[in-house]
Amino acid sequence: MKQIENFVKNTFKNYPKDKREELIQSITEMLTEKVEDLMEKGFEEQAAIDKTVLEFGTIEDYDSKPVKINRKLKRQKSLRHYKNDMIFSSIGTLIIIGMLIFSNLTYTEGVIWFVLPGLAVLWWPLATLYRYLNKSESVKEKKDE
Amino acid sequence: MINSDIVRGHLEAIILRLIIEEDRYGYEISNCIKERTNSIFQIKEATLYSVVKRLEEKNLIESYVGTKTHGGQRRYFQITVLGKAYYREKIKEWQELKGVLETLLEE
Repeated sequence: MKQIENFVKNTFKNYPKDKREELIQSITEMLTEKVEDLMEKGFEEQAAIDKTVLEFGTIEDYDSKPVKINRKLKRQKSLRHYKNDMIFSSIGTLIIIGMLIFSNLTYTEGVIWFVLPGLAVLWWPLATLYRYLNKSESVKEKKDE
Repeated sequence: MINSDIVRGHLEAIILRLIIEEDRYGYEISNCIKERTNSIFQIKEATLYSVVKRLEEKNLIESYVGTKTHGGQRRYFQITVLGKAYYREKIKEWQELKGVLETLLEE
């Protein structure tokens, strides 16, 4: 009956964690009952398991909502991540440019050289901004659908 | 073959009805539905279990572990008082719906 349990586990692997264990256990139990019934009717064990698995249907037959909720949660999380990336890179850039200006003024007063490396560092937050905008655009498109 | 989408709203009543007749276990319910409709309507196990779970959460049915004649253990479902009342409500609803559909769809 390990096969049945694995099948059920695999079917419900994306289900919200709090209810999953209980659900897997009760469905495995009911499917096992079915396999036993079929075997009493004269099916071979393997044939009975195959029939049970085939007739079970998909997670959409069980409940179409939780999978969608799950995806939505993931999406929001990643958008937040992109925001965090942006904040992190902006602060990092400010610190680096500040250091550049500081050492420029302290060690080589008169020669202004911090602009070019500063410009190079600026690409870091720009890149994160670009990715954030792209991401929020694709989220918007999906919502419109 | 009837798609279970059109029956969806009445699955609860169908299953309650079968459990009111006698205490049944999961596969027995789906087997009953299949036999009584001559395989025209077959409920997928996944759908059946989600409805049964919902009924149990709403306290309309209760489950207990019983033994079968040939020894194996089965989880049986039995109706509660609340479940019977709910079933009567659903039947009333169905009678109304039947009347409405007949008036609207029949020529």
